[in-house]
Amino acid sequence: MTPSPVPGLPGAIRTYFLLARNQFRVSMRQMQSQQGWFMRIVLAVMMAYSAFILLTLGFFSAQLWPGAEPVLIVNRSLLAAFISLFFIRFLFQRTPRMKIVPYLHLPVSRPRLVAFFQAASLLSIHNFYPLLFFLPFWMRYVVQEGSPAGHLMWIGAVLLLILASHFANLLLRGILRQRAGLFYIWMSLFITTAFVDEAAGLGMQQRLSEFLFSRILSGDFLGLFLLLCFTLFVVIASTISLSRSIREPEGSAEATAASRVRSFDVPAEWGLLGQLVRIELLLMWRNRRPRHYLFISLLFSTLYLVFMLSAGGTFGGSAFAAFLGLFASGGFALNYGQLMFGWDSTHYTAFVSRNVPFHRLVQAKAIVLQASCLFLFVASLPLFVWLRPDLVPLHFAFLFYNAGITVILILELATRNRQRVDIGRSGGFFNYEGFSARHWLWFIPTALPPVLFMQVMHETPRLGLTILATSGLIGLMTTRWWTRYFAAGLTARKHIMLEGFDSRAG
Amino acid sequence: MRVELNKIVKKFGAKKALDIPAWLLEDGEVVGLLGSNGAGKTTFLRIMLDLLRPDQGEVRMDGRDVQRDAGWRARTGSFLDRSFLIDYLTIPEYLEFVGSTFNLDKDEIGRRLEPFEDFLPLSRIDRNRLIRDLSTGNAKKVGILAALFVHPEFVVLDEPFANLDPPSQIRLKDILRTMAADPGRSMLISSHDLGHVTDVCGRITLLQSGLIQRDVETNERTLEELNTWFASEGVSSAT
Repeated sequence: MTPSPVPGLPGAIRTYFLLARNQFRVSMRQMQSQQGWFMRIVLAVMMAYSAFILLTLGFFSAQLWPGAEPVLIVNRSLLAAFISLFFIRFLFQRTPRMKIVPYLHLPVSRPRLVAFFQAASLLSIHNFYPLLFFLPFWMRYVVQEGSPAGHLMWIGAVLLLILASHFANLLLRGILRQRAGLFYIWMSLFITTAFVDEAAGLGMQQRLSEFLFSRILSGDFLGLFLLLCFTLFVVIASTISLSRSIREPEGSAEATAASRVRSFDVPAEWGLLGQLVRIELLLMWRNRRPRHYLFISLLFSTLYLVFMLSAGGTFGGSAFAAFLGLFASGGFALNYGQLMFGWDSTHYTAFVSRNVPFHRLVQAKAIVLQASCLFLFVASLPLFVWLRPDLVPLHFAFLFYNAGITVILILELATRNRQRVDIGRSGGFFNYEGFSARHWLWFIPTALPPVLFMQVMHETPRLGLTILATSGLIGLMTTRWWTRYFAAGLTARKHIMLEGFDSRAG
Repeated sequence: MRVELNKIVKKFGAKKALDIPAWLLEDGEVVGLLGSNGAGKTTFLRIMLDLLRPDQGEVRMDGRDVQRDAGWRARTGSFLDRSFLIDYLTIPEYLEFVGSTFNLDKDEIGRRLEPFEDFLPLSRIDRNRLIRDLSTGNAKKVGILAALFVHPEFVVLDEPFANLDPPSQIRLKDILRTMAADPGRSMLISSHDLGHVTDVCGRITLLQSGLIQRDVETNERTLEELNTWFASEGVSSAT
């Protein structure tokens, strides 16, 4: 019999010790295997730069807002800041559910597993980088106002907010996974409320924030108590949600809903290309994660766009308008397209072992991405006409740019994917699976050039838009050429991609 | 189709997984590939189908290097594992896709599926079920069916009898025998089931630790010899 690695310890502590050791080993292996040295250096520089900016802002806030009271401004903005941080978390932070699954068949108490992975999830960078601003700000400015008890309560409230946003994110992801409809209703309500608050000039959110944190700083315990209650609520609710989710069967064990199985035919004369387009569309519709990309893109191009277009007076610059144009019609291509071929990782062999020429595969994917640009363009056009008719030419120009250039740039990234995405089991929106540092970095050459270009051309925006639309048209007209180029790349990388897609590591 | 492996070497790290100086499958020949777990069977098949790049050597189909000329894919039907299936499709959708890679229209696909009705009763099965919602055995039948109904010149199957219920194993054996009788069709079937393989295949290639140990024509004594060989291999590996 193998002796216990930690003899003498009580059962619960021994379990947590073993789980912690396993997680440490997994983290070490992931760090060693996932990124090349170049990527590590680039990421380290970016992180150091971000840390420097946050520390500087924290220490020198008075210089940032000359003549104003920094503590008052921060108190007024705290709720908005945490809502923004929450959205960043929602985009990038992992859920612990996938980490628990490998332990479920072992004789380990499930409540202990949930408790451990809930606690371990706190070791996220999203819980630490806000402190790079708040701690120096607290030391430099907050401690100069109010009582010592108030100072401690204020920083305690900030820590509670970080904690609350962490578990609220896990809770929301759980809701998205289990009841997507409810998630979309909540999101729509939230965006609508924020829009009404902003558009009607009520400023309720700012007033609430100022009231709450000023009272806490003055030593009022009630505000802190309310925050504590909210934090406890999301901790408990997310823990219950996680416990329920691990009892659910994996995707393959559960029959797919009949509404998802509805099919459609493609004209016979489209041949293999038609079949490949159909397979791509069914991939989106019948798998949760790509479907969420579709809904979220649609949400951006409609509800969220209303909010952004209405804020035109505040963010009326050419660069911001270009950013809107890029995402209004290209949002889905940018989000979904970057994981193309990775989406196919569990069945890529089904293509490469058969008579499926790579140029047909690329062509089918390009058609789907270009069609998504047209679809989102049509969906968001009425909003541009209603709220910002002056931006309608920009919307048109970016339709051509996205379909002709953005799609090429996205495919350049996608044809190099080699990380497995277990599409049938990979949960919901912004699960990290399949992403690498390359995906974050590639966003810079994909999204920034048109935005910067329009900023440079801000005195002659019509000329800028004409150039963007023309480059897009050229991209569309040379489809045959770049399809062959990507096909050659896929041929050269076939074995590496198959090897990567087959790997379940990480 | 004539298939040849020349000087194939594949290593995983320091371990040599496959070392085949020469191996030939003649046009119309049906060969069974046998070996214990880890003997190199799947590596052998994956290299043959250009799904894995060998460290040395080449695979030729009708004289053409499979890595340089993909024409063989339009004449080959294969099923090694679940990654050959697109599991979010229904069975008819998947078969339609496979048919389109052989330029078959819907009517022709229907006609070609008829002889397989006993093996996978498409007329009785729930056509709206996704492949990922099927049992392991039924999903495997779909994969095997997709490899066979297109009438390929070369058939490659890995463990086709595993996970199938006994009636399906018997039907599959009959189907493979019928297809093997078709002149010009070559088949390579990897299996642990010695009885089925010796029933269907005219020749057996036996792999051990990545090396070909035996390559013999089957006769009435082959099954007994193989049983003896594997029993002794089990003893030697246990000791």
